[in-house]
Amino acid sequence: MVYVTGVGLIGVDRHYDKSIRRLAFEATTAALNSSMVESIDFVIVASSISYLNESQLDLASYIASSIGLRGVRSITVESGEASGLAAVMMGKSLIDSGLASRVLVVGVDKLSEYPSWRIYKNLSLLYDSESDAFYTIGFGGLAGLLMRLYMDVYKVDRLTLAYWPALMHSNAKANPYAMLRFAITPEKVLEAPPIAEPLTLLDVFPLGDGAAAIVLDGKASGEAMAEIVAVETATGYQSIALSDDPLKIESLEVAYRRLIERTNVRSIDVVELHDSFTITGILELETLRLAERGRAAEAVAQGIFSIGGEGPVVNPSGGLKARGHPIGATGVYQVAEVALQLSGEFPGLKVEGARDGLVVSINAMGSSSYVAYMRAVR
Amino acid sequence: MRRLTEWSSARVWRSRVHRYRLIAGRCRSCGKVYYPPTDACPYCGSRDVDNMELPRVGRIISYSVIYATPFEDRNRSPVILGLIDLGVARLVTEIVDVKPEELKIGDRVEAVFRRVSVDGTTGLIVYGIKFRPTKAR
Amino acid sequence: MQEIAREWGWSDHQWKGLGMIEKAVAGPDEDSTTMGLEASLNAIRRAGINPRDIGAVFFGTESKPYAVKPSATIIAEAIGATPLTMASDLEFACRAASEGLKASIGLIASGMVKYALVIGSDTAQANPGDVLEFTASSGAAAFILGSPGGSVAVFEGSSTYVTDTPDFWRREGSPYPRHSEGFTGEPAYFAHIIGAVRGLMEKLGLKPSDFNYAIFHQPNGKFPLKVGEMLGFKSEQIKLGLVTPLIGNTYNGSALIGLARVLDYAKPGERILVAPFGSGAGSDAYSLVVTDVIEEKRGKAPSVDEYINDKIQIPYSVYAKFRELILVMKE
Repeated sequence: MVYVTGVGLIGVDRHYDKSIRRLAFEATTAALNSSMVESIDFVIVASSISYLNESQLDLASYIASSIGLRGVRSITVESGEASGLAAVMMGKSLIDSGLASRVLVVGVDKLSEYPSWRIYKNLSLLYDSESDAFYTIGFGGLAGLLMRLYMDVYKVDRLTLAYWPALMHSNAKANPYAMLRFAITPEKVLEAPPIAEPLTLLDVFPLGDGAAAIVLDGKASGEAMAEIVAVETATGYQSIALSDDPLKIESLEVAYRRLIERTNVRSIDVVELHDSFTITGILELETLRLAERGRAAEAVAQGIFSIGGEGPVVNPSGGLKARGHPIGATGVYQVAEVALQLSGEFPGLKVEGARDGLVVSINAMGSSSYVAYMRAVR
Repeated sequence: MRRLTEWSSARVWRSRVHRYRLIAGRCRSCGKVYYPPTDACPYCGSRDVDNMELPRVGRIISYSVIYATPFEDRNRSPVILGLIDLGVARLVTEIVDVKPEELKIGDRVEAVFRRVSVDGTTGLIVYGIKFRPTKAR
Repeated sequence: MQEIAREWGWSDHQWKGLGMIEKAVAGPDEDSTTMGLEASLNAIRRAGINPRDIGAVFFGTESKPYAVKPSATIIAEAIGATPLTMASDLEFACRAASEGLKASIGLIASGMVKYALVIGSDTAQANPGDVLEFTASSGAAAFILGSPGGSVAVFEGSSTYVTDTPDFWRREGSPYPRHSEGFTGEPAYFAHIIGAVRGLMEKLGLKPSDFNYAIFHQPNGKFPLKVGEMLGFKSEQIKLGLVTPLIGNTYNGSALIGLARVLDYAKPGERILVAPFGSGAGSDAYSLVVTDVIEEKRGKAPSVDEYINDKIQIPYSVYAKFRELILVMKE
């Protein structure tokens, strides 16, 4: 059994005044009260772009010592955009295997460090350098390509696909940790500057800095907010060109199947999934069978995944689109947010009575996928 | 066009044949063909793989018109990224020599040999295959 | 042409006097190597040979992507002729590729190689605002040479005329060439082409009326007609091979694209004169007779006119951007 017994979130923003180590320190401090500091057995740092931005390898050791955890066991996890959830999976496995009792997982990344064009180049390293990223994929190039294919195959129009970012912004307004806290209409999405047509600026995640920390504990103490029941993963193809069905994220399908084979997943009340781009969110909903193939965009537009809708509430935090996507930190944000939902403490839009939650994190268009199933304990 | 860090001479050299001649991998166990070639089949995992040259004409499955181009690609922005169906295999590549508004899903395209990245003013030029709409003949 | 004239304050008389209409511009991801490779693949398709049997690749250019590192090896690798092949880049202004032709004839006749690939390709340079800018353009031509059997045309003979004449040059490190304007005419272009062509006709005992076509190096739309007239050719013989008014002067591609166009239309038995010229200076003259094999090979690749007609018009600003005439930070 693995429980989340503490969470610390930094608002996703352009923290020009805070370094990677400072952000990690602030998130960690928020997650721990100082009496527990000595009892951390392992620190796992999830970070992806920082290697390039900071010119720093072996980040975990440097962060661990700079945040006062001298001599602690530490390790860095880099799995692209899914680093955060991958790190949580590793943290959980350390406890499950008896190697640790209490693990601190800290995710941190900064995307405001450089001009956007330089960040976009760094981000292109998330894709395969031998195939797709050999060419100019810009920012969102592959997502844009999949969005156009989706519209063509399922005859869904651009406006229907704009309800997703509108919903994300609407949800994020209430989230004090979200980067973008202003409402937008679906029409505004279409009017925004093109990034990778048909994607516009309002279909893509904003470039912000963030850090999130959670404490994983092998014992269900009074502080336990939620249980992480299981985390599963799978790798996908190097390139979307290899997939016979590029509108389904195969690695996510496999990871989810492994998850439900491993544990009994009851009906899901809340999901935090990886909407790096509008289309990624849509494809994940369909891959997870929360909507039929080709119908997710419509379902979002009809409010199925909003508070009060028929389906599970999806991305009450505002998702990657509006809460933000500090790459390596995102998965940790998501786990923290679901833990807060399951303990009734989420400071934004609350999913009342949520008992079961799902966290979905993928890299690129599915080179790897992670899914976590969490349950309330109180 | 420039990479984040220059490709080493060795990497440019190792990859030249499959970049220039569009050489794909072919699995002798399951028969699938895939680009670029790898040591094991990405579909069935078999290591019994060999190579084949891909056809140089295909059709556009989908494409995206990228305005968020890197610094060095500003002189050719917007860049069009496409997913091309070559029959036996598919490929993600750039679509060139065409105005975005003239493109459609399903258009026929043909392979062309072009510069893909240039390492500044003193580094290597990396060439590869892109696609352009076939000439109406 | 009007775009260039308007930009630099030339009157339209300037480009009309050169017999020009339009010129071709290489795109931002093209260079002499990429164009040369495309032309080579067309040639191989028509030749119907196995690229492994190519024993020499000559790349004639004055716009090398690398000052040191041959484009010929890139092309040889890309067509599948490596590793057992000769390969080199040649320089002699606009007639480098023609040296390659002559060398290939010798290599094949001596039995040293079975087939040779000769490419003339340039992204021609001109100082912006100079009159040369009206004509300097981008293009490539490629030929596969082999023994007469199976050829679309056979060389009857050739002649070369070379002197040290500084009519047009580009120093190491200089982005644009310099030319001596009027001096590029009589002592350079005309003297050498006339020298080479008269030398050829004497050698073979031929006169202008024995030829169906005469193709000359074409720095503009007027010089080929003038030199042809001086040699005794009629404009009808010259017109088909005169492509510069439509695509500009492609330097090493100049006479050779003209030759490719003539071969798109020439009938078996017809005789072709082709005389490339390169500044520095020198000219060659070749006599070719078309065989009936040409009919079956012609349609296997796009014709020159198909390339000429497949175009996108761009304004001067886009041309300047593509040709890197605008100062942009590189890193």
